[in-house]
Amino acid sequence: MFRSVLIANRGEIALRVIRACKEMGIRTVAVHSEADRNSPHLDEADKAVCIGGSRSSESYLNMEAIIQAAVQNDCQALHPGYGFLAENALFSALCAQSKVTFIGPPPHAVRLMGDKARARETMKRLGLDPIPGSEGTLQGVEHAALLAGGIGYPVLLKATAGGGGKGMRVVRGAGDLKHAYSEASLEAEKAFGNASLYLEKFITSGRHIEFQILADVFGNSVYLGERECSIQRSHQKLIEESPSPVITEEIRREYGNKVARAATAIGYVNAGTVEFLRDEDGKLYFMEVNARLQVEHPVTEMVTGFDIVREQLKIAANCPLSITQADVKLTGHAIETRINAEDPARDFRPDPGTLSAFEPPAFDSIRVDTHIKAGYTIPPFYDSLICKLIGHASTRPKAIDTVLKALRSFKIEGVKTTIPLHIAILDTPEFRKGDYDTRLVQEFLAGKTRGAAKTGK
Amino acid sequence: MAKVLLQAIGSSLEAFLKAEESGANAEAMEKLERELEAKRAEVKAGWGAEYVERVHKKGKLTAWERLDQLKDAGTRVFPVGTFVNYGQEFGEGKDKKKCPGAGVVTAFVTVAGRYTMVIANDNTVASGAWWPQTPEKIERAQHIALRLRIPVIYLVDCSGLYLPEQSRSFPGPTGAGFIFKMNSLLSANGVPQIAAVFGDCIAGGGYMPIISDRVYMTEQAYMVIAGAALIKGGKSQNITSLTIGGPDVHVHISNCADFRGPDDEAVLKMIRRDVSLLPTTAIEYYKYDGDTNEPARDSRELKCIFPYDYRMSYDMRQVIARLVDSSLFWELLPGKGEEMITGIAKIGGLYVGVIANNQSLIRHTEYPDQKRPGGILYREGIAKISQFSRTCNDDGIPIVWLQDISGFDIGAEAEKEGLLGYGSSLIYTNSTNSVPMITVLLRKSSGAGYYAMASSAYDPVIQLSTPITRLAVMGGRTLAIGAFRTRLDDNFELIETNEEEIRKIKRGMQEVEDRITCDMDPVKSAAIRDTDEVVLMHELRPYLRAMTEMCYQAIGYRRIKNPRIWSMHDLGTLTDI
Repeated sequence: MFRSVLIANRGEIALRVIRACKEMGIRTVAVHSEADRNSPHLDEADKAVCIGGSRSSESYLNMEAIIQAAVQNDCQALHPGYGFLAENALFSALCAQSKVTFIGPPPHAVRLMGDKARARETMKRLGLDPIPGSEGTLQGVEHAALLAGGIGYPVLLKATAGGGGKGMRVVRGAGDLKHAYSEASLEAEKAFGNASLYLEKFITSGRHIEFQILADVFGNSVYLGERECSIQRSHQKLIEESPSPVITEEIRREYGNKVARAATAIGYVNAGTVEFLRDEDGKLYFMEVNARLQVEHPVTEMVTGFDIVREQLKIAANCPLSITQADVKLTGHAIETRINAEDPARDFRPDPGTLSAFEPPAFDSIRVDTHIKAGYTIPPFYDSLICKLIGHASTRPKAIDTVLKALRSFKIEGVKTTIPLHIAILDTPEFRKGDYDTRLVQEFLAGKTRGAAKTGK
Repeated sequence: MAKVLLQAIGSSLEAFLKAEESGANAEAMEKLERELEAKRAEVKAGWGAEYVERVHKKGKLTAWERLDQLKDAGTRVFPVGTFVNYGQEFGEGKDKKKCPGAGVVTAFVTVAGRYTMVIANDNTVASGAWWPQTPEKIERAQHIALRLRIPVIYLVDCSGLYLPEQSRSFPGPTGAGFIFKMNSLLSANGVPQIAAVFGDCIAGGGYMPIISDRVYMTEQAYMVIAGAALIKGGKSQNITSLTIGGPDVHVHISNCADFRGPDDEAVLKMIRRDVSLLPTTAIEYYKYDGDTNEPARDSRELKCIFPYDYRMSYDMRQVIARLVDSSLFWELLPGKGEEMITGIAKIGGLYVGVIANNQSLIRHTEYPDQKRPGGILYREGIAKISQFSRTCNDDGIPIVWLQDISGFDIGAEAEKEGLLGYGSSLIYTNSTNSVPMITVLLRKSSGAGYYAMASSAYDPVIQLSTPITRLAVMGGRTLAIGAFRTRLDDNFELIETNEEEIRKIKRGMQEVEDRITCDMDPVKSAAIRDTDEVVLMHELRPYLRAMTEMCYQAIGYRRIKNPRIWSMHDLGTLTDI
C-alpha cells in the first residue's frame, strides 16, 4: 500500500479522503490555496502545502504545482476528490509520467468517458441504450434540425465536452432551434474550448438514476446498487437517495450487471458512476459515466456498508477487489442532503461569510461530512457546498424523518443555507411517496406542487 | 508432386515382442523411473516443509506455487535443469549444504496460451540465493528462450550470491555477470522479458529484473545494489532495505520498476495479463488446418520396447511410431546408409525431421552377403544424415535427433574411407544449422557419434535424456578393455595364465567398468548440466510436442517454408531414381 498520498482537493471531500487514509495507516499531504490557508481540515493532514493563489486556476487546477508537491513530499499516489482535476485525462497522464499513481480511472477511460459522443456509441455497443439522439457530434444546425425532426421535439442540445449544465439548451420546437444552437455552441466554446454539440431527445418527466461501480485492474467489477438524484435545481443535485423508490430488484440486477460488465469491457478501473435517465415508462437510458468519486457516494456507503474511498485506494495499489457481487447487500435506506451556503431568497446566490455558529446534529444514523467548524469563513472563490448530511434508517419513511429531524436541529448562523429548502422538499407528499422527477424542485419553487410551501422567503 | 506422403509405421507390441520380454523390459524401466521420480520429488521439496512454512509466514508463495498460479489451468509445466547440482554439497564440515535444483526453477510454462520460459528463484533454498552453477542454469534457460524467441518471465526472490561459495559463481565468463549479458541479448533480439520482484533482490538479483520490459514489485519487495546492512549509520537511522529500495522508491521515484502489487497473487495475475497482450502463437497457423493426433501406437508402450540389457537391440521404427502423430512417417533415403533412419513426421500437428539410429543388423555395403551392427555411424549413414540435416535446415523444419549411438565405425577400413572427413562434414552442417534442433539421448551416447548427432555442444534448443541414457566417451566395458589392453589378446581375452593375476586383472577391469557405469547415470550428467533434463519414457512425446510447438510459436526470426517448396522433395526425387 502507498506510504503517502496527496489529496488534490479542498473542503469536505479532502477531509473525507484524509480520514480514509489515516484509517489505513497512510501518511497524508494536503494542498491548499492561499484562501484556504486556515481551513480546519488541514490540521488533520500530516502535512499541508500551499500550492498557489486563491483562484482555482492558480491552485486547485494548477497541475504542475500539485504534481510538484506530490513529488517533493514523496507521495506515491494522489487522490483528486471530485471536481477540479478529477476527470482531466491530461492531469492523470501527467501524474503517470511523474510516477505518481492517480487514484481514479486510467487516462484512456477518462478520455473515452469524457467525450460524451464517443461514450454514448461505446455504451450502446455494450447493450446500454442511450437516449435517442445524434450518433456523434452534430455537423451543424441543418443536421440538428433533420435529426430533431426525426426524433420529435422537445430535444436537448448538449456540449460534447460539457457538464454541469453549461452549453445545454432545451429546444421545444423547430422555430427555436437555430437560436438555441448558436447560444449553446458559443457557451460550450467559452466554457470548454470545444464548441461541438450533440443532440438528444428531451425527456420531460425523467428521473436521474445512477449506478455505482467498482472495478480493479484485473477485470473484476461490481455494482453497489443505485442512487436516485432527481432532486435537482438547474441541473445541480440537491438531495440523493439509495435505493431509488422506483427501481425494482430485477431492474437493479439487470442494469447493475450490464454496467459492471461494460466497465470490464472498456477497461475501466477504480470507482465510477454510470448515469441513466428513466422515462415515464420505466425505461433507463444511458446518459454518461462519471469517472470519479461522486459527491453523493455516502448514500451508497450507508446502505452497502463499504467505504468507497478505501476501495479506491486499494484498487489504485493494484489490489484485486475484495468484494464480489454476492457480498453486496443493500440494507435500509439512505438520504443525502447537500447543504450549500446559498440564499434561496436571492435566487440561490452563494452567500459566503463567517459562520458564527455551526453545530451539526449528533444523532445515531446521521452522518455529517464537513470540514467546517464554527468561526470558519467561507471563501468566495469556490463552490458553496459546506456540508453533506446523510441519514440512514431501516425504511424510506424512517430515513426521511431522521433527516428532517436532523436538519431541523442543525444550528448554522452567519450565512444563509439551503436547509429550509431541503426540509420543505423532503416534506412534500411527492417526495414522501417517492413519486417525483427532475422537475420537482422547479415546480415546488414555482408553487406548483401539492405541498407547495413558502420556503426560504 | 510436391506432396508429403506420410505412411503408417509400427505395429502392435505383441506383433514384435514376446509378452514376457516386454514385461521384463517394462519392469526394469519402471524401477528406474520410480527412482527418478523420487529424485525429482526430493529436488522439488527444496529444503523442506520448514522452509515452505517460513515463506508462507512472510505472506509469500513458494517458487512452485508461483508457477502454479502463473500457468494456464490444466496445462503442464516442463522443467529444464531439474537436477543441476543434484547430490552435491557445498560449504565446510558440519555446515555442508545441498542446493536442490541450484536454488532456481527454470521451466517452460504456458501463460495465456503462449509458451514462456519462467526463471524462478527457489525461496525455500537459502532464500533463493545463487549457488555455483545457478548462473549457468539461468543462462541456459535464457539461451533456450533466445533461440526460440519465447517470452521470459523472471520471478525474483533472491538474497544474492551464496557467499561461502561466491568464488565459484561470481567471476568467470559464465558467472553471474553473464546473466545480465543474456538479459541484454534477449532485449536486443526483441524477446519480451517480464520481471516480478517478490522479496529480496540484492546486488545481482537487483540487476537481473531491470532490463526487463516490465518490472513488478510486491509490497514486501526491494531491489538494492547493497542491502541496509552495508550502509554506514544505517542502524541508528532505522534504514531498512525496504525503505531504500522498496516500491515507494523504485516504482515512484527511481523508475526502476513499473508497477506495485499488494502480494504475489495479484502480481502474477498482472503478468498473465501482460503476456495476453503479446501476439498469439503461430502454432495453429503452421498446422495448415491439419489435425493433431496422438500416435496410433501408444507412447506409454515405450517402456516395454527398450531392452533391460543395454547391449541388446530393438526396433527404432517402433520407437518413432510411438512418438509421432498418428504414427505416420515419410522415410527419406530408406535404401541408403541403413544404419540411420531419416524422415519427416508431424508432432503436435507440426512438421519435424527425424534422424534416428537404427539398432538392427544391417546390410554391409561392401560385402552384400554380410551383415553389420546398427547403432554405429558408417560412411553412407553419415553422408545421409548430413544431407538430411542440411535439407531440414534449408526448409526450416525443426530436427528431432533420436540418439542411440556407440560411435563412429573404427578400424583401418574406416580410416581409409575417410570417416574423419565425413564426420567433420556432418559436424560442420550441424554447427551451422540455424533451424531449431531437439536432441534426445535415448540410450547410448558415446564417442564422436554423440557429438556428430547434434548433442549439447552443437546448440540444440534442448537435449533430453531418459532413465537409461548412458552418456560417455565410451562405455565402461570398452574403457576397461582400453585400460588393460596390454594384458589382452585380439579377442580381448586375457593372455595371462596365472590364476592369481587373472583374478586381479578381472577385478581391476570390473572396477573401471563399474565406476564408468556409475558416472554414466543420467542424473549425474544432468547434475553437471551435460544434459538439460531427464524425462520418463512416456513423457517423451508430450515434451517433444511442447518443444516442437515452441519452435513454431514465434514468427519472423527463422525460415519456415511451406511444404510445397521444400528442398526435401528434391532429395526424395533424386534418390527415387
